[in-house]
Amino acid sequence: MSIKRGVFPIVLLAIAIAGGVLPTLVGSALLLTLLTQAVINAILASGVGFLVRQNGLVSFGHAGFFGLGAYIVALSATYHVMPIGFALALAILAPALLALLLGLAILRLVGVAFSMLTLAVAQAFYELVLHWRELANGDDGIAAELPPRILGLDLAMFQQPGSMFLICWAMLILLLFGLRLLVESPFGTLTLAIRENEERARFIGFETIVPRAIVYAISAAIAALAGVLFTLYNGFVTPNVLYWSLSGEALVMAVIGGTRAVWGPALGAVIFFLFKDAAGDLTEHWPAIIGGTLIVVTVLLPRGVSGTITMLLERLGARAP
Amino acid sequence: MLIQLLNGLVYGGLLYVLSVGLVLIFGLRRVVNFAHGSLYMLGAYIGYTVASLGGFWLGLVVSVFALTVLGALLDRFVFRPLQDEDPIVTMLVTFGLLLVLEDAVRTVWGKDFLTMAPPPSLSGVLLLTGTNFPVYRLAVIGIAILVAIGLSLWLRLSRVGLYVRASSVDPVTTGMQGVDTERLSATVVAIGAGLAGLSGTISAPLVALAPSMGGSILIDSFVVVVTGGLGSFTGAFIAAMLIGQVHNWGVVFVPSAAPMIPLVLMVLVLIWRPSGLVRAGA
Repeated sequence: MSIKRGVFPIVLLAIAIAGGVLPTLVGSALLLTLLTQAVINAILASGVGFLVRQNGLVSFGHAGFFGLGAYIVALSATYHVMPIGFALALAILAPALLALLLGLAILRLVGVAFSMLTLAVAQAFYELVLHWRELANGDDGIAAELPPRILGLDLAMFQQPGSMFLICWAMLILLLFGLRLLVESPFGTLTLAIRENEERARFIGFETIVPRAIVYAISAAIAALAGVLFTLYNGFVTPNVLYWSLSGEALVMAVIGGTRAVWGPALGAVIFFLFKDAAGDLTEHWPAIIGGTLIVVTVLLPRGVSGTITMLLERLGARAP
Repeated sequence: MLIQLLNGLVYGGLLYVLSVGLVLIFGLRRVVNFAHGSLYMLGAYIGYTVASLGGFWLGLVVSVFALTVLGALLDRFVFRPLQDEDPIVTMLVTFGLLLVLEDAVRTVWGKDFLTMAPPPSLSGVLLLTGTNFPVYRLAVIGIAILVAIGLSLWLRLSRVGLYVRASSVDPVTTGMQGVDTERLSATVVAIGAGLAGLSGTISAPLVALAPSMGGSILIDSFVVVVTGGLGSFTGAFIAAMLIGQVHNWGVVFVPSAAPMIPLVLMVLVLIWRPSGLVRAGA
């Protein structure tokens, strides 16, 4: 199941450097824009995948946390309620806290009910933003009046695809590294044990709701981080960031990539965006394509690409002397 | 006051007819149909088109029939082949279906709002405590009550109803007793989808038709099903009536925060009773 332990940081470092030099190699601004979006979505998908991996639970509503993060930054920058640094922190912590409290209430339910409610909560936020026009212009969306400098960097750094790609890329690499550490920590092992058999974990003396709620909160914080990056990059937010087609997109990426490896969903996101680029003119029917892909991949490729790669590597390893 | 109470009953009734379909499907297949809101939406659109050609009642009949057929197909080509997989797989597939159906409806009927008139025989108003109340809304309450009574009688008194209740408790044992659970499931999923079509069509004269109309009612129906106790028919009825009232009073008093209120109520109920209002099978 595991590629040798020491290999992961080295491979990750190699990929990190490869990504780091990518903007200088890629001349086309359009492609770079696409790649930046892909990396932001890779972060979102990693959040969804982490929840599946550690809790065995599927969230149909991670757009809710993504959109919440995106809207908190946009609204607090526009209404000037707090310094941007605080706003960024709040935009990540508030969705995480919400997920923690919500998790404590709904993680007692069976997995099916949990999935239903994740969708319900995200969709309720969508409806809220849509109907409360005074807050954020409803359907028309809201332009974030971001300050000229954010955390010591010029705003332009966040809005040029070349530099923003590097920022998002660095975030993604740090995130994957952090997730890997977390997965291998005692906490990671405990949540896996709970995922495999909640009852036994309880019998040997562990409290099982709180660890799972923490995993849910972490995965929400990751989605919110992606939402924050989205607002910084685009400077504009519409209710679409809360809509279930985005939750669906994140799920497709996680399913394509496979969730057994922490890097699977991120790989899925990159593949998904290359596919989106190739789909080109068909993007008018994008939701249907997402839906169709989700159906096909779920049925035909249950392990995802990362699972298939890992399996092939293991076979090669088994054959080698 | 009375008017608001009645409006709550109208929404609660629609919600009940939709949610009870979800409960039926869950009972037999142990999965949640995420595309249920899309079936509701499809019911409304088919009803709209047929009604504009041949009148409201024909629209209602055709729409329910079309959705019943679609339900049988859904069972045959989605739920049945995937029954041995993790329930998550089926949920992902029906969620994919939701996205496809929403896009299909947008392509066929456009994304602009459409409106549909109630049937002429029910288009009047009734004077209730000094306010005019549309007869059609009373008719919707009546239809929901008829569905509730019909369904309870069918489940309690008929042989098929007995099988359905037995399967909801334990499908494997029911199968071992010689009940053809495959055929039963096809029937039940077809009925569930037909009810979604019924709910969609009767709601069409009350709301504006848009491809996103399935979304807001789907979340309320999920809240109903979970609050009522997953798989419980009685629970779904009580929860639908409760959420109908809460939703309606929310729209009247705090319109911008209304979508959140049913969720808050649900969280409170789940803290109080983690398995919902009524335990399934009881």
